[in-house]
Amino acid sequence: MQPTSTPRFHCLAVLSLLALNAGADEPTLRDQLGGSHFKLVCEGYVDQNWDLFVMNADGSQRENLTHTPDISELYPQASPDGSKISFMVDTGEGREIIRSAWVMNVDGTDRKKIADYARQAFWGPDSKVVAYLPQEYPKFNVIDYFTKGIMFYDLSTGKTTPHPNNENIRHLYNPGFSPNGKWIVATVHAGMGFSHANLLIEAHGDRVINLGIPGCRPTISPDGKFVAWGPGDHEVATAPLDTDADEPKVGDKILQVFDEKNKVYHIDWSPDGKFVSCSCGPNGKGDISQPKTYASASEIVGVYAKGWNIYVVPANAGAVHLDQPDPNALALTTDGESHKESDWFQPKK
Amino acid sequence: MNYSLTGPFGLAVLLILGACSRKSDDTSGGTDGPNSSSAATVNFVTASGVEMVFLPGGTFKMGYDRGNPDEAPAHTVELSAFAMDKTEVTHAMFAKVQLPNPSHWQDNEANPVERVRWRDAKTYCNERSLLEGLTPCYDEKTKEWDCDYKANGYRLPTEAEWEYACRAGSDQPYSFGNADRLRQYAWHDENARERTHPTAGRKPNRWGIYGLYGNVSEWCEDVYSADYYSKSPGTDPTGPADPGVDVKRVMRGGSWKSSADMCRASFRQGQRTGNTDACFYTDYCGFRCVRRVTADEVAALTKKT
Repeated sequence: MQPTSTPRFHCLAVLSLLALNAGADEPTLRDQLGGSHFKLVCEGYVDQNWDLFVMNADGSQRENLTHTPDISELYPQASPDGSKISFMVDTGEGREIIRSAWVMNVDGTDRKKIADYARQAFWGPDSKVVAYLPQEYPKFNVIDYFTKGIMFYDLSTGKTTPHPNNENIRHLYNPGFSPNGKWIVATVHAGMGFSHANLLIEAHGDRVINLGIPGCRPTISPDGKFVAWGPGDHEVATAPLDTDADEPKVGDKILQVFDEKNKVYHIDWSPDGKFVSCSCGPNGKGDISQPKTYASASEIVGVYAKGWNIYVVPANAGAVHLDQPDPNALALTTDGESHKESDWFQPKK
Repeated sequence: MNYSLTGPFGLAVLLILGACSRKSDDTSGGTDGPNSSSAATVNFVTASGVEMVFLPGGTFKMGYDRGNPDEAPAHTVELSAFAMDKTEVTHAMFAKVQLPNPSHWQDNEANPVERVRWRDAKTYCNERSLLEGLTPCYDEKTKEWDCDYKANGYRLPTEAEWEYACRAGSDQPYSFGNADRLRQYAWHDENARERTHPTAGRKPNRWGIYGLYGNVSEWCEDVYSADYYSKSPGTDPTGPADPGVDVKRVMRGGSWKSSADMCRASFRQGQRTGNTDACFYTDYCGFRCVRRVTADEVAALTKKT
């Protein structure tokens, strides 16, 4: 006869109840986010068209911001002051597609085009300059690093100026300013002497620092002390990075968000740096039977990505697994309508 | 002799007629056994400036019974005439059609492009077709970019076309003879110093085609199947049907990182296409183009001059 396990079972049951009781006193992630004034904007593919959607930080009250059945809006980026959103618009077909950079108010009004043949617009820390990456060649190609140079568009004057080191800048993607305005962080693929790297590029000079981290799509925290990026297809992470230092270096990972089956991409910081959002969904190569979409990897802008949703995770959660029940992960969208490229903002009062 | 030609789509073609059965400087290697061909190759330069070699159709013994299991059975294949790029597609060629160059090594525009996904290679083929006023072979509105083999534009070679061109009439593992001469014909793991090199930097094979044995491995059109040779059609085979899941495409020829054994003319490998990867890191994956063209078409083009 085997010894009974009953005493041990009772002990575990009591501990579990205690744990549950302790958990009941702490607000859930949804509760924490429900009390936030932050919002997120992301892209989504609904009714055979790309639109931009705005939602509360807990995913509630999601609204179609653009409502333009004939126009594809993509890659939204909110200005640091929460007043405007930059985005991309694709018009035309096939090789004749023109991707343009636009800005509008956060309520969707006052749309204004700032450049054609442009990629991945991003905001200067003062919210007065929108930068973008000019397309490498006029003929359209969906690949993300199809870029050459960096341009700065001044919203107040309408004047565009090139980066001082423009001739040597090629094949960047996913750019973003550091909050101190000193650096532009971006990934380079097959350009600038790099096979593939995540770089700090001096915003108004010619210094280039290889961050020495694998993967892609880095973004700096609002306080300039951390970087978030995707080390691989199935992970996004954060780590210390002091952008005020003379030689900024990336420290050990603090947060890691995994999904062993699905891809995890497009990490972004909440305005207070306490949360990050990301996109997660199945590996794929698009579905060109869907109008206005392209054939490429699911995470690429404009590629139909069925099953992709937006998630939020506390920035201090350690390790989070999206493919398992985890109290530190909250799905803001669940319909899988190609929700990608989320960006946080605090609406300007 | 040089001829300036104009085709039906305004295609200007400069033909450099080689002597019948033109051979490279290699005359000592290989044996003209069962694969012996009476190929009268013709070199020409396309409207966009790419050097190609016209290969008349013929029969050859494909595969190798003493190689890896997927190389058997050796079987007779009959091929229609086609033209093949004299070199792998280079950085300069890629830039000419305004495509983003994904290559790891960017320091010489005569190097072959690498880290090329299967669909990127097909995109190049279509772009070059459009650039030269030809009808693209690939239907970009279909899921897998179906190939119209009858179109007169550029496409990836079938596996059979690739091996036919590589063998250049030889039935031996290397058309030039023994493996100890490989370094004269190929950049591979013994001489490449772990990187790519300019495409015409080694000797061409006896049909004047460079780099088939090394530098970068080359995408073919076919789906890879290890047992395909046991059921392959005998005429113009185009590979097995697409199984839809876990698809690998054929990649042929050695690369800068290949052993001599992997550089053999009959060596086969299947490679995932990279179509679901934003960044395809396989820096030994390149390609070259072929185009269906008949001897009559070449002759007609010649007469127009």
